[in-house]
Amino acid sequence: MVHTFSCLGSRFALDVESGSVYEIDDLTYRLLDSPLDNTEGEFSRYPKSEIEEAKAEIEKLKKEGVLFTPETLHEPPVYNGIIKAMCLNISHDCNLRCEYCFADTGAYSGRRGNMSLEVAKKAIDFLIEKSGTRRNLEIDFFGGEPTLNYDVVVKTVEYARSIEKERGKNIRFTITTNALWLNDEMIDFFNREMYNVVLSIDGRKDVHNSVRKTKGGKDSYDVIVANALKFRKTRGDKQYYVRGTFTSRNPDFCADVLALNDLGFDRISIEPVVLPEGHPLAIKEEQLPLIKEQYELLAEEYLKRLGTDKQFIFFHYMLDLDGGPCEKKRLVGCSAGNEYVAVSPDGSIFPCHQFDGKPEYKIGNVTDGSFDKTIPVLFAENNLTQKPECLKCFAKYYCSGGCAANSLNMCGDMKKPYKLACELMKKRLECSIAIKAREKNLF
Amino acid sequence: MKHIKVIAVSTICKDEGIGCGECQTSCQSACKTSCTVGNQSCEQRRINHTFKNTEEK
Repeated sequence: MVHTFSCLGSRFALDVESGSVYEIDDLTYRLLDSPLDNTEGEFSRYPKSEIEEAKAEIEKLKKEGVLFTPETLHEPPVYNGIIKAMCLNISHDCNLRCEYCFADTGAYSGRRGNMSLEVAKKAIDFLIEKSGTRRNLEIDFFGGEPTLNYDVVVKTVEYARSIEKERGKNIRFTITTNALWLNDEMIDFFNREMYNVVLSIDGRKDVHNSVRKTKGGKDSYDVIVANALKFRKTRGDKQYYVRGTFTSRNPDFCADVLALNDLGFDRISIEPVVLPEGHPLAIKEEQLPLIKEQYELLAEEYLKRLGTDKQFIFFHYMLDLDGGPCEKKRLVGCSAGNEYVAVSPDGSIFPCHQFDGKPEYKIGNVTDGSFDKTIPVLFAENNLTQKPECLKCFAKYYCSGGCAANSLNMCGDMKKPYKLACELMKKRLECSIAIKAREKNLF
Repeated sequence: MKHIKVIAVSTICKDEGIGCGECQTSCQSACKTSCTVGNQSCEQRRINHTFKNTEEK
C-alpha cells in the first residue's frame, strides 16, 4: 500500500509496509495514484520522456523493496502475562472541576478518596513481581490530582527506590498534575525523581478558564501558569510536557499551542477531547476540516520557530524515522490490559486509567493478589492483526489500531476504529512526515 | 533521482530480536487519550546510539 498526499505545499508518498517516505513531484504523485492508465488525459501535458523517467524511478524503488512493499502477514501477538507499566491512581479526587473530565472530575463515578501507602506499596510489589525479565518499569502517578496525596507519592517513590536495585529493576516515574498546588518542595522532588512530568494547561487564558475551574468555580489559569513556569525554569533538559485538551469551543487550537510556547514552554501536547456525541464540548464532524487546517498551520508555525529561541516539540509531530518503535510494538500499541494496567485507590486493577471504576473490567486487586486473566487475554487479542478495518489504513503502524477505551466508549466495540480520532491521527501523521522532509532540507 | 526524493527508507524495524519491551509505554508519555505509537523511540536503538556517540567522543 502506498499513500500519497499533499501537505505544506509539497507532495509525499508513504510506503506503508516498509515505512519508507518520499517527497515526490506532481507527475510521480499522479503516476502513483493511477499506475495503470498514465498515457492519456491528465498525463498528456507531460513530455513522454519525463513520464518514462519517473516510471523508471518508481520501478527502481519497487525492485529495492521500498515501494509497493507487499503487505506483511503478521503473527498475532500472544498474551505473555508480563506487566511493566502501571498507572497509579493515587487520588480519586481533584481540586479542579474540568468540564470535560473523563474521570468524573476525579471520582471515577465512585467515592472520592486517596490511595493509602499500604496499597501503593502492594502495587509496587505487584508490578515488580509481574514484570518478569523486564528491567525498565514505569509508574505514572495519576488521578484525580496526585498532589492531593503528595505525601504518599513521596513515600511510594522512596519505597520503590529502596527495592529496585536488589530486584534488578530501573523504575521510571511520571506524574501528571494540574499544577494548582504545585510548590517549591514538589518541584524539587519532581525534578529529582520524575523521569517525566505532565502539566495540564489548555492554552489561551480564556480557553483554559472556560473549562478548567477550581472546585469553588474560580478561574485557575493564573495560579497554574505561574506554578508551571516556575517548574519549567528548573527542569533543564529533563522530560516534561505541557499537555492540554481542545474541544468544540476551540477548534482553532493552533493558537493554544503557540500561546503555551509564547509563555516559555517548549514541550507541548494538545489533544482532541473525547466525549460522546451530543455533549456540548464534543468535537463535531463538521469541525474536522477546520481542525485539519489547524494541524497544518501548526506544522508551518513549528517550522518557523525551528532554530529560534521559541523552538518547541509538539508531541504528535515527533516522528522517529531513524529509531522508531519496532514492528511488534506497532502491533500492540499502548498494551493496555497487558503490559500496562491501572490501579485504583482501593487496589483494584483495571486495563488502563480509562477503565477505572468500570466493575465489568476489573482484573483483580493488588492487596489480595487476585488476578483474573480473562480480561488481559481479551485485550491481548485486541491488537492490530485482529482489526480488519485498521489493516487497510495507511496510519496503522503509527496508532496501532487506536485507543481501546475510545473505541469501546464511542463505537461500543474495542476492535472498531473511532473514525473521528482516526481522521485526526491521519492528518497528524501527514504533517509529521512533511515536517521531517522540511527538516531534512533545512539541516 | 529527479522525480523522487528519499526522506527515509525502511523505517519499520523488523530485525530479529525485536519486541524486547524495554521502551516507554506510549500512555506514560503525554497522551492518555489517544494511542500514538509512531512517535515513540526504540530503547535498544536509543542505548546503542548513546553508546556509539560516547565511544566516538
